[in-house]
Amino acid sequence: MKMLEGVRVLEVADGLTDFGGRILAELGADVVTVVVDENRDHARQLAWHHGKTGLSADDPEAIRNLSRDADIVLDGQRKGDRFDLASAVSGSDKVIYVRVAPFSVHGPYADKPATDLTLFALSGLAHVTGEPSQPPLRFPGEQVYALTGIQAATAALLALQARRRTGKGQNIDVSAFQSATLSNYREAIMYEWTGRIGRRMGNMLVRGKSGVRQIWPCKDGYVTWSMIDNPSMMRAVVAVMNECGAAGELLSIDWDNTLVADTPQETIERWQGVVERFFADHTREELGKWSLERGWGLSVVYGPEEVRESEHLRERGLFVDISDETTGETKRLPGPLFQTPANATPSRNFSAPIPSASFKRWSA
Amino acid sequence: MGALDGLKIADFSWVGAGPRSTKDLADNGAEVIKIESAKRLDLGRMSPPFAGNSKDYDGSAFFAQTNTSKKSVTINLSDPRGIEIAKKLVAWADVVVENFGPGFMERIGLGYEKLREIKPDIILASVSVAGRTGPMAGFRGYGNSAAAHSGHAWLTGDEGQLPHMPPLAYGDVVAPMFATVAILAALEHKERTGEGQHLDISQIEPMVHVIADIYAQDEIRKTGNEDESYLLHGVFPTAGDDQWIAIAVETEEQAESLRSALGLKDGALDPAEISERTALENKFDLFEKLTSVGVPAGPVLDGKDVFENPELRAGDHFVKLEHPVLGVSMMPTPPYKMAETPWQVTRAPLLGEHNQDVFAGTLGLDRAKLEQLQAEGALA
Repeated sequence: MKMLEGVRVLEVADGLTDFGGRILAELGADVVTVVVDENRDHARQLAWHHGKTGLSADDPEAIRNLSRDADIVLDGQRKGDRFDLASAVSGSDKVIYVRVAPFSVHGPYADKPATDLTLFALSGLAHVTGEPSQPPLRFPGEQVYALTGIQAATAALLALQARRRTGKGQNIDVSAFQSATLSNYREAIMYEWTGRIGRRMGNMLVRGKSGVRQIWPCKDGYVTWSMIDNPSMMRAVVAVMNECGAAGELLSIDWDNTLVADTPQETIERWQGVVERFFADHTREELGKWSLERGWGLSVVYGPEEVRESEHLRERGLFVDISDETTGETKRLPGPLFQTPANATPSRNFSAPIPSASFKRWSA
Repeated sequence: MGALDGLKIADFSWVGAGPRSTKDLADNGAEVIKIESAKRLDLGRMSPPFAGNSKDYDGSAFFAQTNTSKKSVTINLSDPRGIEIAKKLVAWADVVVENFGPGFMERIGLGYEKLREIKPDIILASVSVAGRTGPMAGFRGYGNSAAAHSGHAWLTGDEGQLPHMPPLAYGDVVAPMFATVAILAALEHKERTGEGQHLDISQIEPMVHVIADIYAQDEIRKTGNEDESYLLHGVFPTAGDDQWIAIAVETEEQAESLRSALGLKDGALDPAEISERTALENKFDLFEKLTSVGVPAGPVLDGKDVFENPELRAGDHFVKLEHPVLGVSMMPTPPYKMAETPWQVTRAPLLGEHNQDVFAGTLGLDRAKLEQLQAEGALA
């Protein structure tokens, strides 16, 4: 059995809800999606809309009728309510109507146009991402849309719980700006309490008076690790370096009584030089194995193809075959959201949208 | 009335990856009892910024914003008598949440099978870096580990640049959101079947999911701020030191509006020409100017801008709460407004603030026995 078996979801997708609808479909809901922007990048449509039934945005009345038969309506229209969904569901006391917009309904930015990138800029995350001498940088993909989609799914599931008690649906407004800003847990609070305004630090991790590196070259690529205040981790790294005859002055440091954050930068640079030489002599596989076995907290930096071929993720079944019926091709994309024996496998197909009036499953 | 009124959560989680999920649930009405210990402090209590003394474990603003609306009790989980009290909380709870390293809950006698013996329909949510199965199960890492293992770090930045780490523990943000979804779906499943379940949430897998669109591309490459599916997609300088605005043009109509607003030449949009124009303008003025003619734009906000932003204030993104140590402080709220079951965010608890309330009240334990256990360190 699927966890959300039988839950009917109508999604009007324009970026903001795409991953939210995908989450509900992965959990077993019957998700019917109307893609507002038919020119949206095919890879994005494949990634976010597989497992859903696609409908064309061709018949507003048919779509309004579906909204009244749905348990959940995810309305992600960024450019106005072209289907008049709000009034269509207003007469129903069971529908959970989740309206997802770039901004709050009545705030000063209401109705301003926005995209993933412009919302990411507003979130405060871009300001601290990238190199100090370069423009602010976004995270890869469409992170604001993804984060907002998760919040939309969360709100819908919360309302489903409430409906079990009250028997009634409700209207919900989700703000993408707030969804993105919520993920930026550090910058506003740091300003509130210290008056400091964060800046882009590249790959340096700055804590206290000094900064430490996060990215290191090794024999065949890169790893991430930082000389942070974690004595047991530092001892674990230095122990292996010592076994390899490469610990140098790090061996004599009492890590239990050393606060890296308060250590002068030039001393840290000297210590990091020892580590750099050691990492450069070893492969990602060697370093990753030591990290796993000895508790270093070091991670190998993998490229996307390596992630897809990862033995660990293969064993956990993260990537699954998605059949793209529009091209006849198959792509390996992330499937299960988490591991549980309770959720049966949902549809793994992506199909072209059908005329909305031809969709009869909910009225059968 | 909150959406989750009546739901009971025994929360063993700490730092960020678990507590952000239980904050979601607590803000929406669930009764979340956070099991802590003075002998093994939640590292979140030692994380900056602090209201004053960094040694005051009730003075961390980081902890306060991550643990709103919860109760706190102290239980020494290395003491068998503490474990027995913890089991009573499991018997009380509908959901148990933990983000210890895989194996820890089993070692202290609180693994899923034990929990089921106590409460057959219990839902257990376990959050860890790499999950509980597979060759990397047991991997000790941090929020940024998932950025490396998921492809995020590799993909961030422009072609030819080094991998780039996120400026925060992004895995500690995304994974708990998945945990919240998982718990809510498990509650729905339990309503239908009467069955609980063990949810295994890895930090790496959610970080892969949120870039699924990149994994769907035929040829994956780093693109920095660019996006080929837009007519223009970039970050441009504005007047002042380190001031910027993002502009994204999706349609020819928007492109024409941008040309008109900035006085650009006809033809393809030229980032260099646009930069020359934007560099003369204040980012907030330009934001108003461009969005008023339908061009998606967003000033790059810094921490101060975010804290003072009028849209966030209007949307109740922060609520002002009185905290015994922090004083009046701003705490983040859920990014949605539910018409019938609104969230209610209350301040984070002091360490062990609800010991009496929970142990004597909720669990009905004998007060004299409690005093003895507290004096002997089992409830510390």
